[in-house]
Amino acid sequence: MSSRTRWTALGLVVAAGACNDIAPPIRSDFYEWRRVEPAQGGGEDSLSFHWPANRLPVRVWVEDDASLPENVPQAIAAWRAAFLYGEFDARVVSDSSAADVIVRAGPAPATEFSRVRLPSALAPQCTGATDINVTDDHTRLLLPIRIYVDPHSDPNAPNLAECLALTTTHEMGHALGIWRHSDDPADLMFMDPQVPGPDERDLATAEVLYHLPANVQPVGP
Amino acid sequence: MTSLLLAAMLPAGAGRLHAQTEYYARVGAVGATRLVRDVIVDEITVRQSIAPMLALGGSLPIGPRGYRAGLETTLASGKFHSSEGGGDIDLGTLRTGTLLIGVEGPLATGLRWRAGVGGLHYWPADKEGIFRSGGASRFLAGAGVDYRRPAFSTWDLMTSLRFDFHRFTTGELERRGFAQTQGVSRLSLSVGLSRSTR
Repeated sequence: MSSRTRWTALGLVVAAGACNDIAPPIRSDFYEWRRVEPAQGGGEDSLSFHWPANRLPVRVWVEDDASLPENVPQAIAAWRAAFLYGEFDARVVSDSSAADVIVRAGPAPATEFSRVRLPSALAPQCTGATDINVTDDHTRLLLPIRIYVDPHSDPNAPNLAECLALTTTHEMGHALGIWRHSDDPADLMFMDPQVPGPDERDLATAEVLYHLPANVQPVGP
Repeated sequence: MTSLLLAAMLPAGAGRLHAQTEYYARVGAVGATRLVRDVIVDEITVRQSIAPMLALGGSLPIGPRGYRAGLETTLASGKFHSSEGGGDIDLGTLRTGTLLIGVEGPLATGLRWRAGVGGLHYWPADKEGIFRSGGASRFLAGAGVDYRRPAFSTWDLMTSLRFDFHRFTTGELERRGFAQTQGVSRLSLSVGLSRSTR
């Protein structure tokens, strides 16, 4: 093999390295996730929230009831599937006083902690709600976010387990930052969800919202 | 590979071949260009950090002019991370292993060129993100130079500079609709010992 041939071969290898990049998909199939609230000075504020990287993993405390200890980790895993680049992570913690998100079984209390309540899952077997406490100026989210998953009175109601699982995942979607319901029944974030887990539109919405600037920042605990 | 195995396993009749077989081991570091470039709102890149590397190999003569054919395997383990808008997110540990079959020849005293083809496999520590569907195997082409100088009676000190190239993608990226593949170039520098055939 001549010297010229060797260097030509090496040059071809180097040139190949400079060729085209991987081509990312165009993300266009997502829905509106921002919560619209009346602004203090009139008009409206579109509230956009996601957990900043320096608050990850999000700490989630879970009440030992209504299959929540099984369903919450599955819900976290289902939403983590949305992300390619480590944008979101959450862990179950044992100390509720240090939690960013508290998940309880039962109905949401009549006295709201929150200024914004997102009621969900209106099935006969179970319902859910997520309370988010945003300051009046709409710039800070006072932690923790509180999730309620309420199994209705009959513990043997048909499809109760499925209802609890999908409701828990739906409410975790709110805690993630999807502060609005989808208008498509095929999405998990539809107000009265029918599907067992996030579909492609839910995942695309979660992915996109983590790459846009948030105007609400978490504070505490 | 077969010749190397035969040289190692046959005690009789292969003594001359065995004597001409060169073995080496090196340690060093390898750096790579980005694995992924994505745009959701701003540009996002995924890169491996410079990683420690172990290389093992051997070769046999294939002609009278100093050419040899050989096999080289490397293992590297390091971190990888995503970057967006000046911020980095640690994505965990990523190990890579390569196996190359190649040829080498003399350039100057103590200096030899090398070129080869083979495969590379990515072993992520966690099945998450771009590796949610698991690791990835890719074809690999590489070239480099080795410099040897006598260190002991039967061992040479060996310094190697290697470049290799492959096209990267994963099952998860394909599932998400990423088209084509990302060209990834790697450069490594390593030092070690080579069993001398002087």
